[in-house]
Amino acid sequence: MSAAVPIGGRDAAPLMHRFRSTVGEHLLVIPYSRIFDIENGADLSGIDIESLAAPGDHDDPLDRIDEPAPQSISLNVSSSCNLACHYCYAARGNFGGAQPAPMAWPTAQAAIDRLVQGANPAAPLTIGFLGGEPFVNRGLIHRAVTYAAEMALQRRLDIRYSVTTNGTLLQAADIALLQRHPFAVTVSLDGTAGIHDLQRPRYATGKGSWADAVAHVAPLLAAPGRAKIAARVTVTRNHLDVAAALDALAGLGFPEVGFAPLRAGPPGSGALRDEDWPGYLAALVAASRREFKRLRRGLPLRLTNLAVALKQLHKGAASPFPCGAGGGYFSVAASGRWYACHRAIGKTDYELGTNDGLNHDLRRDFLQRRHVHAQPECQSCWARYLCSGGCHQEAGSRSAASCDFIRGWLSFCLAAYCELGNERKPRSGIATPTPEEALS
Amino acid sequence: MTVSSPAKLLPRNISALRKGRDPSTATRTTLGNPISTRLESGIGNFFPGLECDLRNLERRFFPFLEVDTDFTNIVVAAVDIAGASAAASDGTISTADLENYRVIQHDISRGTRWSVSVIDGDFGPLGKQTVALSNLTGESFGTGRAPPDAWVAIRLLKEQSLVTLTLVRSPGPGEISLSGARRRYLEDDGALSRVFEPGELTQSLCSPWTHDFRDCGCFYWASNHPDIALPPLPDASTPATDPKWNLDTAWERADRSLPSPPVVTIANGSPEVPAGSTAVLEMQHHEINRDWQLLNFVLERRERIVPYDPASPSAAVPFADKDALLKQLRYAAGVELAVMLEYLSAAWSLRRDVNALPPDLRNDVRSAFAEIRRIAIGEMLHLRAVNDLLSGLSGPAFEPALAVASAIPFSGPGGFRPLQFRAADPATIADFIAFEAPSQGIDGLYARILASLTAGMGTEEQIQSVRALISEGGDHFQTFLFVNEWLGRHTPPSMYLVAGGPADPGASPEHGALQQAYSDLLTALHTGFKAGIPAGAATINAARASMLGPTGIEGKLDAIAAKGFLVKFDALADPRFSPIAPP
Repeated sequence: MSAAVPIGGRDAAPLMHRFRSTVGEHLLVIPYSRIFDIENGADLSGIDIESLAAPGDHDDPLDRIDEPAPQSISLNVSSSCNLACHYCYAARGNFGGAQPAPMAWPTAQAAIDRLVQGANPAAPLTIGFLGGEPFVNRGLIHRAVTYAAEMALQRRLDIRYSVTTNGTLLQAADIALLQRHPFAVTVSLDGTAGIHDLQRPRYATGKGSWADAVAHVAPLLAAPGRAKIAARVTVTRNHLDVAAALDALAGLGFPEVGFAPLRAGPPGSGALRDEDWPGYLAALVAASRREFKRLRRGLPLRLTNLAVALKQLHKGAASPFPCGAGGGYFSVAASGRWYACHRAIGKTDYELGTNDGLNHDLRRDFLQRRHVHAQPECQSCWARYLCSGGCHQEAGSRSAASCDFIRGWLSFCLAAYCELGNERKPRSGIATPTPEEALS
Repeated sequence: MTVSSPAKLLPRNISALRKGRDPSTATRTTLGNPISTRLESGIGNFFPGLECDLRNLERRFFPFLEVDTDFTNIVVAAVDIAGASAAASDGTISTADLENYRVIQHDISRGTRWSVSVIDGDFGPLGKQTVALSNLTGESFGTGRAPPDAWVAIRLLKEQSLVTLTLVRSPGPGEISLSGARRRYLEDDGALSRVFEPGELTQSLCSPWTHDFRDCGCFYWASNHPDIALPPLPDASTPATDPKWNLDTAWERADRSLPSPPVVTIANGSPEVPAGSTAVLEMQHHEINRDWQLLNFVLERRERIVPYDPASPSAAVPFADKDALLKQLRYAAGVELAVMLEYLSAAWSLRRDVNALPPDLRNDVRSAFAEIRRIAIGEMLHLRAVNDLLSGLSGPAFEPALAVASAIPFSGPGGFRPLQFRAADPATIADFIAFEAPSQGIDGLYARILASLTAGMGTEEQIQSVRALISEGGDHFQTFLFVNEWLGRHTPPSMYLVAGGPADPGASPEHGALQQAYSDLLTALHTGFKAGIPAGAATINAARASMLGPTGIEGKLDAIAAKGFLVKFDALADPRFSPIAPP
């Protein structure tokens, strides 16, 4: 099923964005994120921009809303956490009382069954585990993975898993599970030990959790098996030094480190304010430039934000939605209710169904309201199909300064993409596309 | 002088490439590898192809199986038990499937044959089907058609789609069903899939393809099969500048000696060698088949027997600002002018009374004179090109660059030699070769200019213009090598030099006439360059005409040479043309 959300104020919506890098001048055709080099000077008057901005054979129209069968779910398996991070969006897993008890096996089983029944069997399926701290309910995780893996074998499905954990509760059996199955493991660590301990104290004692987390994750870092491990850093306005955090976590053996700025949170949690965004951008750019030096020495990128941005630009990623919420992705609460997003457990406007099925009308309405064309302030922005308006949960905290940060970061990445592409470093994965890529 | 021209868009990322142009034309070169080394550019129009046997692409179409394929049969040749075991232990395949793989391996190791009888899968344009190989007829038409034969069937299977094979044992009984994803040909980065073993794609090419290259003395073959090549350098420390390493030889020569490989000579009129063929004894077909390992790889025209060291992309650093770039360009114009004067002096040092010379010497002197004169004219074109660049970069403030360089780049970065007027003896020609040699004088002169323009100071047109200047330096280098070869056959040099004597003292009327014509020429060029095109075209054309023929500068040069003097040009007092030093 599909619907369409036409862009309003069409005349004001730019179709192209011109930018420079050290290798020349370039053009971003905003719909479908097509990047061109401009040669022979400045005159673009002869360019048929409408044609360049039209969907090609491979492209889905950007004003269309699809309601595909979900391909990914997350299970909010626990309702508690052994840490008490100041900025936690989930109130340690009980979501302000919306999830008072952990998930029971029948609920998880029903959710997995529904996912597998509807999903496209030829494409990968993903089951994520969230909380609270998911490993508070480790028995359920083990049982769910065993169940899903058996189903995958029987039906020849490519089922993958993800988990976001604070790492402190990992036991040998958990590590064996993560090693044995295709898991994307995200460990929440806030950079250096001092900052981490300040921001992520233990609930029971108020003491820091860094040492415990590092000790428990170390065996998995040493032998990841099939797991892909990344660290995720929440950046607050009190600690913007991205490079230091990157070094600290890479030093522990994390191959990838991603950074997420805290945009909204309880008072005193350190959410970034308008005056903080330029400093955060500068820190992210400085860390990226150091990564380029590594790249030139043949070393891989460690900064996930940069690696993802470059890959997306290389592909020409363009979407009217910032994530799969309500589209290909749902988050299942311990109650068996299906929410569009794992951060919105208990919020009625995100509740779109249950283990028994999705509500088509609610879903379509949810997607229509969150389509980037429905965001008035996004319509005149050149980054609208790259940023897509940003996280739905954080849309309320969107400001001119935070949007300037997005544009600044994308401008940097666009120029870097062109410059690195000219250097033809195959390991960067962003050399000029091959014909096979283009045809695929 | 720059005219605003419509922008040209070149697609850079995947989505632009899909939209912007035919992706199949978007090949890109990889350092050290000609485009023709890419699989898709190989002469693989049918199996077995000339570059690879395309049938081998299907050898590993199914996980953990290696098969032999022809039109009617798909026979299991080997089983990757280690891979299957690993897949079973991580849950990718079932233990039952692993056991099936083991049964097949056990049987074929004892000479019992397993072959595919039925394929169930997605055959791309022919859709999802269950195809029994015994039903295939060699023809395929109509709605719901099946593939024509076994090979086409597995070739059509969609990459990564689910395929179920029914395999039968021969002799029977025995039947096994296996399912798995059809393997990909290429990895995400466009390289051949890692499942292919080195040499596997070429393993079934028959030897005639190799020795056929011997018979086709033509350009039918892709460029990675040159008919002639430069000889291999015997070791990594031997520089390629010695002329003996820059003479063509035949790749299939019978004489494989390294210090003195035989040289290709076109046997013009020689009764021993058919016209158009080479005068190098070649290996016979059976010798090529037997001694193929003696044939060398050819990269960038040269046979290689030591590890290939690709020339690094230019490490030149762009200039800090436009002013520095403009200064270097003005000096570059001065160098073009200076070497042009040196070349004229050398050309007119050769004897012009060629009819009085023995035939061999006559031909060589005549050729050497014509080529050095051609190169001198080429430098004048370069002078114009550099001034065009300056004009484009300077805008209305453009001042033509016509000052003669007082020092010429020499012996690598930072080295210079003074402007000198010398006869075309071996030492002089060696200096000319050194200046025009790749990565030496001319490259060094323009390297930072090119880096600056590429880094954003110039347009694509200007970048290409500088690339052309550097490239033509390569042509001049090659030509001076020929000149060296032609004149080097005759010793002493006095046999071919008219002006072994002193330079014109400067007081002769002939020298005065040359200086006046030279000054007039630069003045006219200054006027023409300053006016630009089209306004200055007539002046520039007149300046060009003033250089040629008996009434032009060439006539003045003839007059000096006729008196037995070496031509030289005095520095001009006009500040516009006074000597310019390196920046």
